[in-house]
Amino acid sequence: MTDFSKPQRQSPIGILVMFFDTVRHFAVGLWPLLVLMFIKSDEMSAFLVIGGIALLFLLITVTAYLKYLNFTFFIDEASDEFIINDGIFNKTKTVIQLDKIQQVNITQSLLQRIIGVHALDVDTAGGSEKEAKIKAVSHNLALALKAKLLENERKQPIVAQATSQPVEETQASEATPFIKISLMTLLKVGITSNYIRTVGIILAFFFSIWDNVQHFAGDDSFEHNYFDDYFAAHTIIQSALVLIIVLLVFVLVVNVLRVILRYFDFKIARQRGSLLLSFGLINTKSTIIKPEKVQIIAVTRNYFQKKMNILELKIKQASSNIKEENRNAIDIPGCNETERDAILKLLFDVIPEKGLMLKPNWRKLGFAIFLIIILPLSGFFAMASGVETRFYEFAYLVPVYVIFALLVLCFGFRNYRLFINDRFVIKQSGAWDITNEIVELHKIQAITTSQLFWHKTADIGYLTIHTAGGNIGFQLGNFTIIKKYVNLWLYEMETSDSNWM
Amino acid sequence: MENFTNETLDTTQLPRFEEVQMTSLHPDYWKVTLIHLGILFLILWSALGFLLIMDEGEFATYNNDFIIIGIVLTVLVLFFSRLAFRKKAFAFREHDVLFRSGIIATSTIVIPYNRIQHVALHEGLISRYFGLAKVQIFTAGGKESDIEVPGIEKIQAENIKQLLMGKIQKQL
Repeated sequence: MTDFSKPQRQSPIGILVMFFDTVRHFAVGLWPLLVLMFIKSDEMSAFLVIGGIALLFLLITVTAYLKYLNFTFFIDEASDEFIINDGIFNKTKTVIQLDKIQQVNITQSLLQRIIGVHALDVDTAGGSEKEAKIKAVSHNLALALKAKLLENERKQPIVAQATSQPVEETQASEATPFIKISLMTLLKVGITSNYIRTVGIILAFFFSIWDNVQHFAGDDSFEHNYFDDYFAAHTIIQSALVLIIVLLVFVLVVNVLRVILRYFDFKIARQRGSLLLSFGLINTKSTIIKPEKVQIIAVTRNYFQKKMNILELKIKQASSNIKEENRNAIDIPGCNETERDAILKLLFDVIPEKGLMLKPNWRKLGFAIFLIIILPLSGFFAMASGVETRFYEFAYLVPVYVIFALLVLCFGFRNYRLFINDRFVIKQSGAWDITNEIVELHKIQAITTSQLFWHKTADIGYLTIHTAGGNIGFQLGNFTIIKKYVNLWLYEMETSDSNWM
Repeated sequence: MENFTNETLDTTQLPRFEEVQMTSLHPDYWKVTLIHLGILFLILWSALGFLLIMDEGEFATYNNDFIIIGIVLTVLVLFFSRLAFRKKAFAFREHDVLFRSGIIATSTIVIPYNRIQHVALHEGLISRYFGLAKVQIFTAGGKESDIEVPGIEKIQAENIKQLLMGKIQKQL
């Protein structure tokens, strides 16, 4: 058994790994120089080129060797810490408490396989990168170190892996589902979700046709394009209408098919306090959601979905890297309000109430109008008057754009709210699809408050709540109230060592 | 049960994070920043000088413009770096760490000690010459909720690291 309590280096053969690593770094940093050398190579003497390459080679070798010398790792037995020292000139010392370690992965790249060494990655909760990477150790040492690092660990690595791993079929069939999403509901979801995108595509198409109609009717300042031939056989209006309908149906059918393919036979069952999900037409996926891993729950629905009493739930769980982030966000399409309450109750124990409401300052709307409407329009008119007068041909689009953008912005502003109660923060946002993101207060990792210097007198500012499942931000709210609640939340977080995962 | 109390919280009496007296960065850290900027500007100015000397053609008439733009940019960068340096401040309270930064939007991030995942100590080459180090604090909330406090004396940084490791919640 290797003694890990004293600082030790990687395998000496690992210098090769460092070497190629350094080559890569140099290549990234010096590629303009290398390209220049390559282009001018026939002008320069062979001696200079060879000398340069030799010098570079020497430099890289020395760097690799120094990297190897300066990289040490050990386990501090007294304080149960894993410590890594790294860097030649810029030195970094990383300290990780053993019971914070979530995963230890042993991997091998092609190069590492050729040399016969292994890499060892140490991962803690959160953070976008691996917290510690050891690039070259022997397999035995890697295994021994992994065992040692996970010695203190009790249940955590199992918990961490269980969430994303498929559940055995037998287990899934044991529990009786309490929510089943019918084909009918999925149809409704397919028709109503992504509506904006569908409308957007259709509008864009409509305008391009409208445009063609216009210059087909006698405006010959434009060149002919392929649409002209396409429509030549029919009357324009007819074909336009047919096309729109075909397109509408097409988009909806694609949407419905996608939803059904993905979420067919969606079942949710309860099992020992966790949610058990299974869904899919061709590949049946199964997932467990543990309440303690849930960080943010987003409830989304639009006007049509409200009328049909369906909504979408997105459950974001704690993830340890970005790749996992998407996998750890689980969608539940098309449940009704009672089902939503049942799920929320299972995950939160209570149904979150909205509580105190915080509205954004009018400046939020003002700035959005400036950014989305005034700025592009002034750009458009500046271009039209100064550079290219033919831009005026599109002027009829301006009121359409302004009205559409204004509607979206105003509804977005009206729906933009932050609700605060004893246990939850709920952020509501969205113009058409209205989303409510629910965070439990003890899941908060850190809080940022921010204020632009000219907003001091207006007493407004930004709030960002960081969780292990993503951030929730609220812009331009009353800063005094925000600060008051931040103090309260900090107090509550700091007086209890609550379990956020 | 008899020890259990549940008094109403007077939220106005809670300690306020916005009124905490923050510690500025070590004055030597400004020197470190200056040296970093100096190296950067040295490279940029020599590149510009090289260009102006080598090229006697079309650029020649704009020589002065280039130099003026260069000087203005240099002064602006120095000015904003100084502002940024002065805005940065930190505080270690009993239960959490605060870090303030930003010129136009000044933001303050607060991380409770029981949410810290791990800590790293970073010493740059120039910082090391002045005996300064950077404390990096990582949470589970991703990049945006991690903080880096530069310009702390090495000994103090070690102490802070020790303090943080002691305060980190042992059990999840």
